[in-house]
Amino acid sequence: MKKPYTLLNKAEPYLWILPSIILMSIFIIVPIGFVFRMAFSQVTKAGLIKGFAGFANFEKVLGGAKFAMVLKNTIVWTIFVVVLSTVLGFILALLLNNEFKGRKIARAIVVFPWATTLVIQASVWKFIIDIDYGALNTLLKTLGIISTNVNWTPTPEAYFAWEIACGIFVTIPFVCFTALSGLQSIDSSYYEAAIVDGANYWQKLFNITIPLVKPSLTVATVLNIIYVFNSFPIVWTITKGDPANRTDTLVTYLYKLAFYNGKQGEAAAVSVIGFLILLVCASVYMVSTLKKGDE
Amino acid sequence: MTLDSARINWGKLLSRILLYFVVSVICIVILYPYFVMFCTALKSRQEIFSIQGTIFPKEWMWSNFIDIWQKAPMAQYMLNSIIIAGGSTAIAMICGIPAAYALARMKFKGQTAFLGFIIVSQMFAPVVLLIGIYKVMQTMGLTNSLLGLIFINAAFNQAFTIWLLRGTFMSISAEMEQAATIDGCNRIQAMFKILLPVAAPGIVTTLIFIFINAWNEYTVALCLISTDTIKPLTVGINIFNGYNIIEWQYLFAASIFAIVPVVILFMSIEKNLTSGLTAGGVKG
Repeated sequence: MKKPYTLLNKAEPYLWILPSIILMSIFIIVPIGFVFRMAFSQVTKAGLIKGFAGFANFEKVLGGAKFAMVLKNTIVWTIFVVVLSTVLGFILALLLNNEFKGRKIARAIVVFPWATTLVIQASVWKFIIDIDYGALNTLLKTLGIISTNVNWTPTPEAYFAWEIACGIFVTIPFVCFTALSGLQSIDSSYYEAAIVDGANYWQKLFNITIPLVKPSLTVATVLNIIYVFNSFPIVWTITKGDPANRTDTLVTYLYKLAFYNGKQGEAAAVSVIGFLILLVCASVYMVSTLKKGDE
Repeated sequence: MTLDSARINWGKLLSRILLYFVVSVICIVILYPYFVMFCTALKSRQEIFSIQGTIFPKEWMWSNFIDIWQKAPMAQYMLNSIIIAGGSTAIAMICGIPAAYALARMKFKGQTAFLGFIIVSQMFAPVVLLIGIYKVMQTMGLTNSLLGLIFINAAFNQAFTIWLLRGTFMSISAEMEQAATIDGCNRIQAMFKILLPVAAPGIVTTLIFIFINAWNEYTVALCLISTDTIKPLTVGINIFNGYNIIEWQYLFAASIFAIVPVVILFMSIEKNLTSGLTAGGVKG
Protein backbone atom coordinates (compact mmCIF):
# COMPACT_ATOMS: atom_id res chain seq x y z
CA MET A 1 0.00 0.00 0.00
CA LYS A 2 1.40 3.34 -1.00
CA LYS A 3 1.20 6.14 1.49
CA PRO A 4 -0.99 9.08 0.49
CA TYR A 5 0.97 12.07 -0.69
CA THR A 6 0.64 14.60 2.06
CA LEU A 7 2.42 17.67 3.25
CA LEU A 8 3.68 15.72 6.25
CA ASN A 9 5.28 13.12 4.01
CA LYS A 10 6.98 15.80 2.02
CA ALA A 11 8.21 17.49 5.16
CA GLU A 12 9.41 14.26 6.77
CA PRO A 13 13.08 14.32 5.68
CA TYR A 14 13.38 17.86 7.00
CA LEU A 15 12.05 16.80 10.38
CA TRP A 16 14.78 14.18 10.53
CA ILE A 17 17.55 16.67 9.86
CA LEU A 18 15.98 19.41 11.98
CA PRO A 19 17.73 18.66 15.33
CA SER A 20 21.09 18.66 13.63
CA ILE A 21 20.32 21.91 11.82
CA ILE A 22 19.17 23.61 15.01
CA LEU A 23 22.30 22.51 16.88
CA MET A 24 24.67 23.66 14.16
CA SER A 25 22.78 26.88 13.54
CA ILE A 26 22.88 28.07 17.12
CA PHE A 27 26.46 27.10 17.87
CA ILE A 28 28.18 27.47 14.49
CA ILE A 29 26.13 29.66 12.16
CA VAL A 30 25.17 32.30 14.74
CA PRO A 31 28.81 32.66 15.88
CA ILE A 32 29.84 32.99 12.22
CA GLY A 33 27.26 35.75 11.90
CA PHE A 34 28.60 37.49 14.99
CA VAL A 35 32.18 37.28 13.73
CA PHE A 36 31.26 38.81 10.38
CA ARG A 37 29.17 41.50 12.05
CA MET A 38 31.93 42.40 14.47
CA ALA A 39 34.49 42.48 11.69
CA PHE A 40 32.52 45.32 10.11
CA SER A 41 31.61 47.10 13.36
CA GLN A 42 33.17 49.33 15.90
CA VAL A 43 33.63 47.17 18.96
CA THR A 44 34.43 48.51 22.41
CA LYS A 45 37.04 46.98 24.70
CA ALA A 46 34.27 45.26 26.61
CA GLY A 47 33.03 43.65 23.40
CA LEU A 48 29.96 45.82 22.81
CA ILE A 49 29.09 46.41 19.19
CA LYS A 50 28.78 50.10 18.38
CA GLY A 51 27.71 50.87 14.86
CA PHE A 52 28.96 50.06 11.40
CA ALA A 53 32.62 50.66 10.73
CA GLY A 54 33.02 49.57 7.12
CA PHE A 55 36.43 48.17 6.44
CA ALA A 56 38.10 50.06 9.31
CA ASN A 57 38.98 46.87 11.22
CA PHE A 58 40.41 45.27 8.11
CA GLU A 59 42.46 48.38 7.36
CA LYS A 60 43.86 48.37 10.88
CA VAL A 61 44.75 44.69 10.68
CA LEU A 62 46.23 44.78 7.18
CA GLY A 63 48.07 48.04 7.93
CA GLY A 64 49.55 46.63 11.13
CA ALA A 65 53.30 45.99 11.04
CA LYS A 66 52.92 42.42 12.24
CA PHE A 67 50.19 41.08 10.04
CA ALA A 68 52.36 40.27 7.02
CA MET A 69 54.74 38.28 9.22
CA VAL A 70 51.90 36.42 10.95
CA LEU A 71 50.33 35.57 7.61
CA LYS A 72 53.67 34.36 6.27
CA ASN A 73 54.12 32.20 9.38
CA THR A 74 50.67 30.70 8.91
CA ILE A 75 51.35 29.82 5.29
CA VAL A 76 54.77 28.34 6.09
CA TRP A 77 53.25 26.39 8.99
CA THR A 78 50.37 25.01 6.93
CA ILE A 79 52.41 24.06 3.87
CA PHE A 80 55.26 22.41 5.76
CA VAL A 81 53.04 20.48 8.14
CA VAL A 82 50.53 19.33 5.52
CA VAL A 83 53.04 18.42 2.80
CA LEU A 84 55.59 16.69 5.00
CA SER A 85 53.05 14.83 7.10
CA THR A 86 51.30 13.65 3.93
CA VAL A 87 54.53 12.35 2.39
CA LEU A 88 55.79 10.77 5.62
CA GLY A 89 52.38 9.40 6.56
CA PHE A 90 52.02 7.80 3.14
CA ILE A 91 55.48 6.21 3.35
CA LEU A 92 54.65 4.89 6.81
CA ALA A 93 51.40 3.47 5.45
CA LEU A 94 53.34 1.69 2.66
CA LEU A 95 55.60 0.16 5.31
CA LEU A 96 52.72 -0.91 7.53
CA ASN A 97 50.90 -2.38 4.55
CA ASN A 98 53.51 -5.18 4.43
CA GLU A 99 52.85 -8.40 6.26
CA PHE A 100 55.34 -8.74 9.08
CA LYS A 101 55.51 -9.93 12.64
CA GLY A 102 54.58 -7.23 15.10
CA ARG A 103 52.52 -5.25 12.60
CA LYS A 104 49.63 -5.03 15.03
CA ILE A 105 51.92 -3.60 17.70
CA ALA A 106 53.35 -1.07 15.24
CA ARG A 107 49.85 0.03 14.27
CA ALA A 108 48.87 0.41 17.91
CA ILE A 109 51.95 2.56 18.52
CA VAL A 110 51.17 4.84 15.59
CA VAL A 111 47.74 5.50 17.15
CA PHE A 112 49.35 7.18 20.17
CA PRO A 113 49.96 10.67 18.77
CA TRP A 114 46.53 10.71 17.13
CA ALA A 115 44.74 9.93 20.39
CA THR A 116 46.71 12.25 22.63
CA THR A 117 45.45 15.75 23.15
CA LEU A 118 47.63 18.33 21.40
CA VAL A 119 48.26 20.45 24.47
CA ILE A 120 49.93 17.53 26.26
CA GLN A 121 52.04 16.54 23.27
CA ALA A 122 53.17 20.12 22.88
CA SER A 123 54.13 20.29 26.58
CA VAL A 124 56.28 17.18 26.23
CA TRP A 125 58.09 18.57 23.20
CA LYS A 126 58.63 21.82 25.04
CA PHE A 127 60.29 19.81 27.80
CA ILE A 128 62.33 17.69 25.39
CA ILE A 129 63.95 20.66 23.63
CA ASP A 130 64.59 22.76 26.72
CA ILE A 131 68.19 23.97 26.79
CA ASP A 132 68.89 23.61 30.52
CA TYR A 133 67.19 20.40 31.54
CA GLY A 134 65.60 19.11 28.33
CA ALA A 135 65.37 15.39 27.70
CA LEU A 136 67.06 15.58 24.28
CA ASN A 137 70.24 17.13 25.68
CA THR A 138 70.29 14.61 28.52
CA LEU A 139 69.86 11.73 26.09
CA LEU A 140 72.59 12.91 23.73
CA LYS A 141 74.97 13.59 26.64
CA THR A 142 74.37 10.13 28.06
CA LEU A 143 74.98 8.57 24.67
CA GLY A 144 78.18 10.58 24.43
CA ILE A 145 77.17 12.39 21.26
CA ILE A 146 77.46 15.85 22.80
CA SER A 147 79.42 17.05 25.82
CA THR A 148 77.67 20.33 26.62
CA ASN A 149 74.05 21.32 26.33
CA VAL A 150 72.97 22.39 22.86
CA ASN A 151 70.61 25.31 22.51
CA TRP A 152 68.00 23.83 20.19
CA THR A 153 66.08 27.07 19.95
CA PRO A 154 68.60 29.89 19.49
CA THR A 155 66.23 31.98 17.34
CA PRO A 156 62.48 32.45 16.99
CA GLU A 157 62.77 30.70 13.62
CA ALA A 158 64.28 27.67 15.33
CA TYR A 159 61.39 27.64 17.79
CA PHE A 160 58.98 27.82 14.91
CA ALA A 161 60.75 24.95 13.14
CA TRP A 162 60.30 22.81 16.26
CA GLU A 163 56.65 23.73 16.37
CA ILE A 164 56.34 22.63 12.75
CA ALA A 165 58.13 19.37 13.59
CA CYS A 166 55.68 18.82 16.43
CA GLY A 167 52.78 19.58 14.07
CA ILE A 168 54.09 17.01 11.57
CA PHE A 169 54.55 14.46 14.33
CA VAL A 170 50.94 14.70 15.48
CA THR A 171 49.47 14.79 11.95
CA ILE A 172 51.27 11.74 10.51
CA PRO A 173 49.01 9.10 12.13
CA PHE A 174 45.84 10.52 10.59
CA VAL A 175 47.37 10.51 7.09
CA CYS A 176 48.93 7.10 7.69
CA PHE A 177 45.67 5.44 8.65
CA THR A 178 43.59 6.99 5.89
CA ALA A 179 46.24 5.97 3.36
CA LEU A 180 46.41 2.52 4.90
CA SER A 181 42.69 1.96 4.56
CA GLY A 182 42.99 3.09 0.94
CA LEU A 183 45.90 0.71 0.35
CA GLN A 184 44.06 -2.22 1.82
CA SER A 185 41.08 -1.70 -0.43
CA ILE A 186 43.22 -2.07 -3.58
CA ASP A 187 42.40 -5.30 -5.37
CA SER A 188 45.48 -7.56 -5.48
CA SER A 189 44.66 -8.58 -9.06
CA TYR A 190 46.09 -5.24 -10.27
CA TYR A 191 49.46 -6.14 -8.82
CA GLU A 192 49.30 -9.69 -10.15
CA ALA A 193 48.67 -8.34 -13.63
CA ALA A 194 51.53 -5.88 -13.23
CA ILE A 195 53.92 -8.64 -12.17
CA VAL A 196 52.96 -10.65 -15.25
CA ASP A 197 53.79 -7.57 -17.32
CA GLY A 198 57.17 -7.39 -15.59
CA ALA A 199 56.61 -4.11 -13.75
CA ASN A 200 59.17 -3.23 -11.08
CA TYR A 201 58.42 -1.86 -7.60
CA TRP A 202 58.48 1.82 -8.59
CA GLN A 203 56.31 1.28 -11.65
CA LYS A 204 53.75 -0.48 -9.47
CA LEU A 205 53.93 2.31 -6.91
CA PHE A 206 53.42 5.16 -9.37
CA ASN A 207 51.03 3.48 -11.80
CA ILE A 208 48.83 1.49 -9.45
CA THR A 209 49.23 2.36 -5.80
CA ILE A 210 49.33 6.14 -5.87
CA PRO A 211 46.45 6.67 -8.33
CA LEU A 212 44.24 4.29 -6.38
CA VAL A 213 45.05 5.74 -2.96
CA LYS A 214 44.59 9.28 -4.19
CA PRO A 215 40.88 9.65 -3.33
CA SER A 216 41.53 8.71 0.30
CA LEU A 217 44.56 10.98 0.44
CA THR A 218 42.60 13.86 -1.07
CA VAL A 219 40.02 13.70 1.70
CA ALA A 220 42.76 13.52 4.30
CA THR A 221 44.62 16.45 2.75
CA VAL A 222 41.62 18.76 2.55
CA LEU A 223 40.74 18.03 6.18
CA ASN A 224 44.39 18.50 7.15
CA ILE A 225 44.68 21.87 5.43
CA ILE A 226 41.72 23.07 7.48
CA TYR A 227 42.87 21.58 10.79
CA VAL A 228 46.50 22.59 10.48
CA PHE A 229 45.69 26.11 9.37
CA ASN A 230 43.41 26.49 12.40
CA SER A 231 45.63 24.64 14.86
CA PHE A 232 46.07 26.51 18.11
CA PRO A 233 47.42 24.38 20.99
CA ILE A 234 50.93 23.59 19.69
CA VAL A 235 52.07 27.14 19.07
CA TRP A 236 50.20 28.36 22.12
CA THR A 237 51.80 25.84 24.47
CA ILE A 238 55.36 26.08 23.19
CA THR A 239 55.85 29.82 22.57
CA LYS A 240 52.48 31.63 22.82
CA GLY A 241 53.54 33.24 19.55
CA ASP A 242 56.39 35.08 21.27
CA PRO A 243 58.88 36.68 21.02
CA ALA A 244 57.23 39.74 19.48
CA ASN A 245 54.77 37.74 17.34
CA ARG A 246 57.65 36.06 15.52
CA THR A 247 56.08 32.60 15.95
CA ASP A 248 52.43 33.66 15.79
CA THR A 249 49.99 32.12 13.34
CA LEU A 250 46.65 33.73 12.49
CA VAL A 251 44.75 31.87 15.21
CA THR A 252 47.14 32.63 18.06
CA TYR A 253 47.36 36.22 16.82
CA LEU A 254 43.60 36.64 16.82
CA TYR A 255 43.30 34.98 20.23
CA LYS A 256 45.69 37.56 21.67
CA LEU A 257 43.96 40.42 19.89
CA ALA A 258 40.57 39.37 21.24
CA PHE A 259 41.30 38.20 24.75
CA TYR A 260 44.52 39.98 25.74
CA ASN A 261 44.37 43.29 23.91
CA GLY A 262 40.60 43.88 23.87
CA LYS A 263 40.55 44.44 20.10
CA GLN A 264 37.66 42.16 19.25
CA GLY A 265 36.76 44.00 16.08
CA GLU A 266 40.22 43.49 14.65
CA ALA A 267 40.28 39.89 15.85
CA ALA A 268 37.01 39.28 14.02
CA ALA A 269 38.55 40.79 10.88
CA VAL A 270 41.47 38.34 11.18
CA SER A 271 38.94 35.50 11.50
CA VAL A 272 37.21 36.58 8.32
CA ILE A 273 40.51 36.88 6.43
CA GLY A 274 41.55 33.42 7.63
CA PHE A 275 38.24 31.94 6.57
CA LEU A 276 38.46 33.45 3.11
CA ILE A 277 42.00 32.12 2.59
CA LEU A 278 40.90 28.68 3.70
CA LEU A 279 37.82 28.72 1.53
CA VAL A 280 39.89 29.62 -1.53
CA CYS A 281 42.60 27.02 -0.81
CA ALA A 282 40.20 24.21 -0.03
CA SER A 283 37.96 24.86 -3.03
CA VAL A 284 40.90 25.23 -5.43
CA TYR A 285 42.30 21.96 -4.16
CA MET A 286 38.99 20.14 -4.31
CA VAL A 287 38.10 21.45 -7.77
CA SER A 288 41.51 20.59 -9.20
CA THR A 289 41.56 17.06 -7.79
CA LEU A 290 37.96 16.39 -8.80
CA LYS A 291 38.73 17.57 -12.33
CA LYS A 292 41.77 15.33 -12.51
CA GLY A 293 39.60 12.48 -11.35
CA ASP A 294 37.17 13.09 -14.21
CA GLU A 295 39.82 12.99 -16.92
CA MET B 1 69.66 -21.23 -11.66
CA THR B 2 70.97 -21.75 -8.15
CA LEU B 3 72.85 -18.47 -8.30
CA ASP B 4 69.70 -16.64 -9.39
CA SER B 5 67.49 -17.98 -6.62
CA ALA B 6 70.18 -17.25 -4.07
CA ARG B 7 70.28 -13.63 -5.20
CA ILE B 8 66.51 -13.25 -4.88
CA ASN B 9 66.63 -14.59 -1.35
CA TRP B 10 69.37 -12.16 -0.43
CA GLY B 11 67.33 -9.30 -1.83
CA LYS B 12 64.26 -10.40 0.05
CA LEU B 13 66.15 -10.86 3.26
CA LEU B 14 67.74 -7.45 2.94
CA SER B 15 64.43 -5.69 2.31
CA ARG B 16 62.97 -7.60 5.25
CA ILE B 17 65.74 -6.43 7.55
CA LEU B 18 65.39 -2.90 6.22
CA LEU B 19 61.63 -2.98 6.85
CA TYR B 20 62.06 -4.13 10.43
CA PHE B 21 64.78 -1.57 11.00
CA VAL B 22 62.82 1.39 9.64
CA VAL B 23 59.59 0.42 11.40
CA SER B 24 61.44 -0.04 14.70
CA VAL B 25 63.12 3.34 14.39
CA ILE B 26 59.78 5.02 13.66
CA CYS B 27 58.13 3.29 16.62
CA ILE B 28 60.95 4.36 18.91
CA VAL B 29 60.66 7.96 17.74
CA ILE B 30 56.89 7.92 18.26
CA LEU B 31 57.19 6.41 21.72
CA TYR B 32 60.03 8.68 22.79
CA PRO B 33 57.84 11.57 24.02
CA TYR B 34 55.72 9.12 25.99
CA PHE B 35 58.83 7.57 27.47
CA VAL B 36 60.04 11.04 28.48
CA MET B 37 56.64 11.85 29.94
CA PHE B 38 56.54 8.68 31.98
CA CYS B 39 60.09 8.92 33.33
CA THR B 40 59.76 12.61 34.16
CA ALA B 41 56.48 11.99 35.96
CA LEU B 42 58.41 9.67 38.28
CA LYS B 43 61.29 11.99 39.11
CA SER B 44 61.67 14.44 41.93
CA ARG B 45 61.77 18.13 41.15
CA GLN B 46 65.47 18.34 42.06
CA GLU B 47 66.32 15.49 39.76
CA ILE B 48 64.56 17.08 36.79
CA PHE B 49 66.40 20.37 37.28
CA SER B 50 69.75 18.76 38.15
CA ILE B 51 72.67 19.83 35.95
CA GLN B 52 73.69 16.39 34.78
CA GLY B 53 70.16 15.20 34.11
CA THR B 54 69.01 11.61 34.07
CA ILE B 55 67.16 9.40 31.63
CA PHE B 56 65.56 6.99 34.09
CA PRO B 57 64.56 8.28 37.52
CA LYS B 58 67.25 7.66 40.14
CA GLU B 59 64.57 7.42 42.73
CA TRP B 60 61.19 6.30 41.46
CA MET B 61 58.74 8.81 42.92
CA TRP B 62 55.49 6.89 42.59
CA SER B 63 54.15 9.32 45.16
CA ASN B 64 53.87 11.96 42.40
CA PHE B 65 50.90 10.06 41.08
CA ILE B 66 49.25 10.38 44.48
CA ASP B 67 50.35 13.93 45.22
CA ILE B 68 48.63 15.41 42.17
CA TRP B 69 45.23 14.46 43.57
CA GLN B 70 45.94 16.69 46.56
CA LYS B 71 47.79 19.50 44.78
CA ALA B 72 44.97 20.01 42.29
CA PRO B 73 41.29 19.08 42.10
CA MET B 74 42.19 16.23 39.72
CA ALA B 75 39.14 14.12 40.55
CA GLN B 76 36.96 17.11 39.76
CA TYR B 77 38.79 17.77 36.47
CA MET B 78 38.38 14.17 35.51
CA LEU B 79 34.69 14.19 36.34
CA ASN B 80 34.27 17.40 34.32
CA SER B 81 36.00 15.81 31.34
CA ILE B 82 33.73 12.79 31.58
CA ILE B 83 30.62 14.99 31.80
CA ILE B 84 31.70 17.17 28.87
CA ALA B 85 32.73 14.26 26.66
CA GLY B 86 29.71 12.12 27.60
CA GLY B 87 27.22 14.96 27.20
CA SER B 88 28.68 16.08 23.88
CA THR B 89 28.60 12.54 22.56
CA ALA B 90 24.97 12.07 23.61
CA ILE B 91 23.78 15.28 21.98
CA ALA B 92 25.87 14.76 18.85
CA MET B 93 24.37 11.30 18.41
CA ILE B 94 20.78 12.33 19.16
CA CYS B 95 20.99 15.02 16.50
CA GLY B 96 23.31 13.14 14.15
CA ILE B 97 21.61 9.75 13.83
CA PRO B 98 18.33 11.06 12.35
CA ALA B 99 20.20 13.41 10.02
CA ALA B 100 22.50 10.64 8.79
CA TYR B 101 19.48 8.38 8.39
CA ALA B 102 17.65 10.93 6.27
CA LEU B 103 20.73 11.46 4.11
CA ALA B 104 21.26 7.74 3.62
CA ARG B 105 17.68 6.63 3.10
CA MET B 106 15.61 9.50 1.74
CA LYS B 107 15.73 11.74 -1.27
CA PHE B 108 14.77 15.34 -0.68
CA LYS B 109 15.30 18.80 -2.06
CA GLY B 110 18.29 20.53 -0.51
CA GLN B 111 20.15 17.30 0.24
CA THR B 112 23.29 18.47 -1.53
CA ALA B 113 22.92 21.88 0.08
CA PHE B 114 22.80 20.24 3.50
CA LEU B 115 25.93 18.18 2.77
CA GLY B 116 27.66 21.33 1.57
CA PHE B 117 26.59 23.13 4.72
CA ILE B 118 28.16 20.35 6.79
CA ILE B 119 31.46 20.61 4.92
CA VAL B 120 31.57 24.40 5.23
CA SER B 121 30.88 24.11 8.96
CA GLN B 122 34.09 22.07 9.17
CA MET B 123 36.02 24.95 7.73
CA PHE B 124 35.47 27.00 10.84
CA ALA B 125 37.49 25.65 13.70
CA PRO B 126 36.08 26.78 17.03
CA VAL B 127 39.17 28.89 17.63
CA VAL B 128 38.42 31.09 14.61
CA LEU B 129 34.90 31.62 15.88
CA LEU B 130 35.83 32.04 19.54
CA ILE B 131 34.71 35.65 19.63
CA GLY B 132 31.35 34.74 18.11
CA ILE B 133 30.98 31.69 20.32
CA TYR B 134 31.73 33.82 23.35
CA LYS B 135 29.00 36.27 22.32
CA VAL B 136 26.43 33.50 21.85
CA MET B 137 27.36 32.00 25.20
CA GLN B 138 27.02 35.39 26.86
CA THR B 139 23.56 35.85 25.38
CA MET B 140 22.47 32.42 26.58
CA GLY B 141 24.18 32.78 29.96
CA LEU B 142 26.35 29.74 29.26
CA THR B 143 29.86 31.16 29.57
CA ASN B 144 31.76 29.42 32.31
CA SER B 145 29.44 26.42 32.33
CA LEU B 146 29.82 22.77 31.41
CA LEU B 147 26.58 22.86 29.43
CA GLY B 148 27.96 25.50 27.09
CA LEU B 149 31.03 23.38 26.34
CA ILE B 150 28.85 20.33 25.79
CA PHE B 151 26.80 22.13 23.14
CA ILE B 152 29.85 23.56 21.39
CA ASN B 153 31.60 20.19 21.23
CA ALA B 154 28.43 18.48 20.02
CA ALA B 155 27.91 21.09 17.30
CA PHE B 156 31.48 21.04 16.02
CA ASN B 157 31.42 17.25 15.90
CA GLN B 158 28.17 17.09 13.92
CA ALA B 159 29.99 16.97 10.61
CA PHE B 160 32.00 13.92 11.62
CA THR B 161 29.02 12.23 13.23
CA ILE B 162 26.85 12.60 10.17
CA TRP B 163 29.72 11.78 7.81
CA LEU B 164 30.63 8.55 9.58
CA LEU B 165 27.06 7.41 10.25
CA ARG B 166 25.86 8.17 6.75
CA GLY B 167 28.68 5.98 5.40
CA THR B 168 27.71 3.20 7.81
CA PHE B 169 24.00 3.38 6.98
CA MET B 170 24.65 3.48 3.24
CA SER B 171 26.76 0.34 3.44
CA ILE B 172 23.74 -1.52 4.87
CA SER B 173 21.06 -2.62 2.44
CA ALA B 174 17.69 -0.92 2.88
CA GLU B 175 15.76 -4.07 1.95
CA MET B 176 15.24 -5.31 5.49
CA GLU B 177 13.80 -1.99 6.60
CA GLN B 178 11.51 -1.88 3.57
CA ALA B 179 10.28 -5.37 4.43
CA ALA B 180 9.62 -4.21 7.97
CA THR B 181 7.62 -1.20 6.81
CA ILE B 182 5.45 -3.49 4.71
CA ASP B 183 4.86 -5.52 7.88
CA GLY B 184 3.48 -2.37 9.49
CA CYS B 185 6.49 -0.82 11.17
CA ASN B 186 6.83 2.91 10.77
CA ARG B 187 10.17 4.44 9.84
CA ILE B 188 11.23 5.13 13.39
CA GLN B 189 10.48 1.58 14.49
CA ALA B 190 12.27 0.20 11.45
CA MET B 191 15.31 2.31 12.24
CA PHE B 192 15.46 1.31 15.89
CA LYS B 193 14.65 -2.35 15.42
CA ILE B 194 16.53 -3.16 12.25
CA LEU B 195 19.03 -0.56 11.08
CA LEU B 196 20.60 0.51 14.37
CA PRO B 197 21.41 -3.00 15.66
CA VAL B 198 23.05 -3.89 12.34
CA ALA B 199 24.91 -0.58 12.30
CA ALA B 200 26.07 -0.97 15.90
CA PRO B 201 29.81 -1.34 15.14
CA GLY B 202 29.79 1.86 13.08
CA ILE B 203 27.76 3.65 15.74
CA VAL B 204 30.13 2.60 18.52
CA THR B 205 33.09 3.76 16.44
CA THR B 206 31.48 7.15 15.91
CA LEU B 207 30.51 7.41 19.56
CA ILE B 208 34.02 6.73 20.79
CA PHE B 209 35.55 9.06 18.23
CA ILE B 210 33.38 11.98 19.35
CA PHE B 211 33.99 11.15 23.00
CA ILE B 212 37.74 11.33 22.39
CA ASN B 213 37.48 14.57 20.42
CA ALA B 214 35.48 16.21 23.19
CA TRP B 215 37.77 14.78 25.86
CA ASN B 216 40.81 16.21 24.09
CA GLU B 217 39.32 19.62 23.33
CA TYR B 218 41.38 22.43 24.77
CA THR B 219 40.93 25.79 23.07
CA VAL B 220 37.24 26.51 23.68
CA ALA B 221 37.44 25.27 27.25
CA LEU B 222 40.48 27.48 27.84
CA CYS B 223 38.56 30.48 26.61
CA LEU B 224 35.13 29.89 28.15
CA ILE B 225 35.90 28.38 31.53
CA SER B 226 37.43 30.51 34.24
CA THR B 227 36.30 28.76 37.43
CA ASP B 228 38.87 26.16 38.45
CA THR B 229 36.36 23.57 39.65
CA ILE B 230 34.61 23.22 36.29
CA LYS B 231 37.72 22.93 34.12
CA PRO B 232 38.26 19.76 32.10
CA LEU B 233 41.55 17.87 32.42
CA THR B 234 43.18 19.39 29.34
CA VAL B 235 42.86 22.88 30.79
CA GLY B 236 43.02 22.00 34.48
CA ILE B 237 46.39 20.25 34.42
CA ASN B 238 47.99 23.51 33.36
CA ILE B 239 47.75 24.49 37.00
CA PHE B 240 51.19 22.81 37.11
CA ASN B 241 52.34 24.80 34.11
CA GLY B 242 52.74 28.23 35.68
CA TYR B 243 54.27 31.19 33.93
CA ASN B 244 57.43 31.05 36.01
CA ILE B 245 57.49 27.66 37.65
CA ILE B 246 56.60 24.54 35.75
CA GLU B 247 56.11 21.46 37.91
CA TRP B 248 56.99 19.05 35.12
CA GLN B 249 56.71 15.93 37.27
CA TYR B 250 53.14 16.78 38.30
CA LEU B 251 52.17 18.06 34.86
CA PHE B 252 53.24 14.80 33.24
CA ALA B 253 51.81 12.59 35.98
CA ALA B 254 48.46 14.32 35.48
CA SER B 255 48.86 14.10 31.70
CA ILE B 256 49.18 10.34 31.92
CA PHE B 257 45.78 10.19 33.58
CA ALA B 258 44.40 12.33 30.77
CA ILE B 259 45.78 10.24 27.90
CA VAL B 260 45.70 6.60 28.98
CA PRO B 261 41.90 6.15 28.79
CA VAL B 262 41.60 7.72 25.35
CA VAL B 263 44.60 5.96 23.85
CA ILE B 264 43.07 2.63 24.84
CA LEU B 265 39.66 3.66 23.48
CA PHE B 266 41.25 4.86 20.29
CA MET B 267 43.11 1.62 19.68
CA SER B 268 39.82 -0.22 19.90
CA ILE B 269 38.21 1.76 17.08
CA GLU B 270 41.18 2.64 14.87
CA LYS B 271 40.45 0.09 12.17
CA ASN B 272 36.74 0.85 11.82
CA LEU B 273 37.31 4.57 12.06
CA THR B 274 39.77 4.92 9.21
CA SER B 275 37.74 2.85 6.79
CA GLY B 276 34.63 4.78 7.85
CA LEU B 277 36.25 8.17 7.30
CA THR B 278 37.44 7.39 3.80
CA ALA B 279 34.32 5.47 2.80
CA GLY B 280 32.08 8.40 3.76
CA GLY B 281 34.36 10.74 1.88
CA VAL B 282 34.71 8.84 -1.35
CA LYS B 283 31.01 8.16 -1.56
CA GLY B 284 30.10 11.75 -0.66
